Amino acid sequence: MAKTIIDAHNVSKTFNPKTIPVHAVQDVHVHIEEGEFVALVGPSGSGKSTLLNMMGGLDEPTEGTVFIDGVEITKLSENKLIDFRLHNIGFVFQSFNLIPVLTAKENVGFVLQLQNMPKTEREKRVLALLEEVGLKDKINSRPGELSGGQQQRVAVARALASKPKIILADEPTANLDSKSAANLLDIMAKLNKEEKITFLFSTHDQRVIRKARRVITLVDGKIESDVEQTPS
Amino acid sequence: MLFQIAWRNIWRNKSRSLVVISSIIIGIWAGIFILSFSWGMYKNNINESVYRQLSHIQIHHPTFGEENNSKFTITNTDEKARQLESDGRIASVSSRVISSGMITSPTTASGVKIYGINPASEITQIRLNEYVREGTYFESGKENEILIGAKLAKKLKVKLKSKVVLTFTNINSEIISGAFRIGGIYRSKNISLDEVNVYVHQKHLRELLELKPSESNEMAILVKNEEQLETIKKFSVGIVPRGKIEDWKELSPELSMIIESFNLYTYIISGIILLALTFGIINTMLMSVLERIRELGMLMAIGLNKRKIFIMIMLETFYLTLIGTPIGLLSGWLTVTTLGKTGINLSMFSEGLASYGFSSIIYPALDQEKYVIIVTMCLVTAILSAIYPAYKALQLNPSEAIRKI
Repeated sequence: MAKTIIDAHNVSKTFNPKTIPVHAVQDVHVHIEEGEFVALVGPSGSGKSTLLNMMGGLDEPTEGTVFIDGVEITKLSENKLIDFRLHNIGFVFQSFNLIPVLTAKENVGFVLQLQNMPKTEREKRVLALLEEVGLKDKINSRPGELSGGQQQRVAVARALASKPKIILADEPTANLDSKSAANLLDIMAKLNKEEKITFLFSTHDQRVIRKARRVITLVDGKIESDVEQTPS
Repeated sequence: MLFQIAWRNIWRNKSRSLVVISSIIIGIWAGIFILSFSWGMYKNNINESVYRQLSHIQIHHPTFGEENNSKFTITNTDEKARQLESDGRIASVSSRVISSGMITSPTTASGVKIYGINPASEITQIRLNEYVREGTYFESGKENEILIGAKLAKKLKVKLKSKVVLTFTNINSEIISGAFRIGGIYRSKNISLDEVNVYVHQKHLRELLELKPSESNEMAILVKNEEQLETIKKFSVGIVPRGKIEDWKELSPELSMIIESFNLYTYIISGIILLALTFGIINTMLMSVLERIRELGMLMAIGLNKRKIFIMIMLETFYLTLIGTPIGLLSGWLTVTTLGKTGINLSMFSEGLASYGFSSIIYPALDQEKYVIIVTMCLVTAILSAIYPAYKALQLNPSEAIRKI
């Protein structure tokens, strides 16, 4: 039996509770096992990014609890939560993903440096990761010198750097052309298959949805459907 | 890595960083210039008072200062002056006979302070000869020659060679009048004194006052090194045991007050400049933080804790200050060094300045200690100014920050 990696119990999130309350997520229960490739879909404003943020410890639920690999992250202090994210969760965002003043190599190495990994070991791993995402020849390029697709691949390499248990990606293909998006998804699918890394996407991009093995649909902050499928 | 990111971050918006650096440079330069200019002006005023009027040390009869009466004298001053001058630490000594009285011209009269001087010894003391604008410095050889200030001459409506009458009381309290002929008209840097002080031959005044030969009211001493002032004062006590020995700070407390008030002035001026600098830095750094909200949110999301975010923002300000401060300091120092040699000519305002005892050429000067104060205050200001923007960055919630457009 596969190990539970994310367990969100009766999670709700209400913005502006004292003025005009907005119930972004309402009483959601999500259970994700290790090695899953899950797409969280729904129309704009359905609460998918909010749910993703809560599962990544970026946002605190108004109600409910979130467990990541058995740790109740909703009870962690701010600093412990940052440290937990550093070691256990990789993030890929829609944009503003990379540190603009650092090269691809430095961006990927940044997380490892925060983990105090020795320089030699760090450099070895950074090169391996950039090679894995097909950017070995761009290691010294800054984000401004890379295309959108290349930047997202660097972001994936950085998300993988700390060997996280899960990678949360918020609309990772939203700003990419078809070719770049397909390339990025192939890399992610390969990592999921070969390294058993759990991927959770929030998306409304059909290309991502087709690649997922499980699709959770959110509407008005509630789960409307949760289905498994064969990726195409 | 944080040091590297902070350094590169400041060059992301070059023009903005250069504006901050420039404001730091201008702030420090302006602070140094204003203070050095003021100090140059005050120092000039102090030097003018010490070297052209007071001398470093004056010795009087203990009662002379209170009564201002010529009968309170120091005896045998010629011999005492010789003894004092024999000390290698003393540059020059002169004795003066002093009285107060009235000067009368054919048209008007004015109150004056009459100095009976030895013209030769005053050449190395108050160097009055350098201020003579018309006529000569006691070169006629006549005993009734008088040297008066240009302002007094204008007031009395007299010219060179005009005859004036001095009226005063002698030591026996008898009213004495003496006719004098103007041999020279001087113009010093202190117009107010030019209207009051007149100079005559010491020997002649001594006779009119009925003082004994070698009796004087004042002995003035110029020292070679001002740091030895106290030891020379003690040495003078041995030679003039019953005299009241005072240095220039005691004789003119307002001059020592100028020095003390200048220290306060340093802090006030630096404070005003730095206050303006503070707002400049806060504004720039706040803009820099607000522009990077999403990026800062991303950094927090991937594991950069708030302490490190705070350090990063502080480092950015620190770097900007670290670039601006040495340049500001160097440009300030160069300005002071150059203008300290050439001087700033304010001759168009010299009439106004001279009435306050200031010279028309100002030589900016600043102690090393003041440079340290300015730089320290600038660094502290920069660090303090960075705290608010850095604090704002700490208030960010990563998920909200990432959502910001």
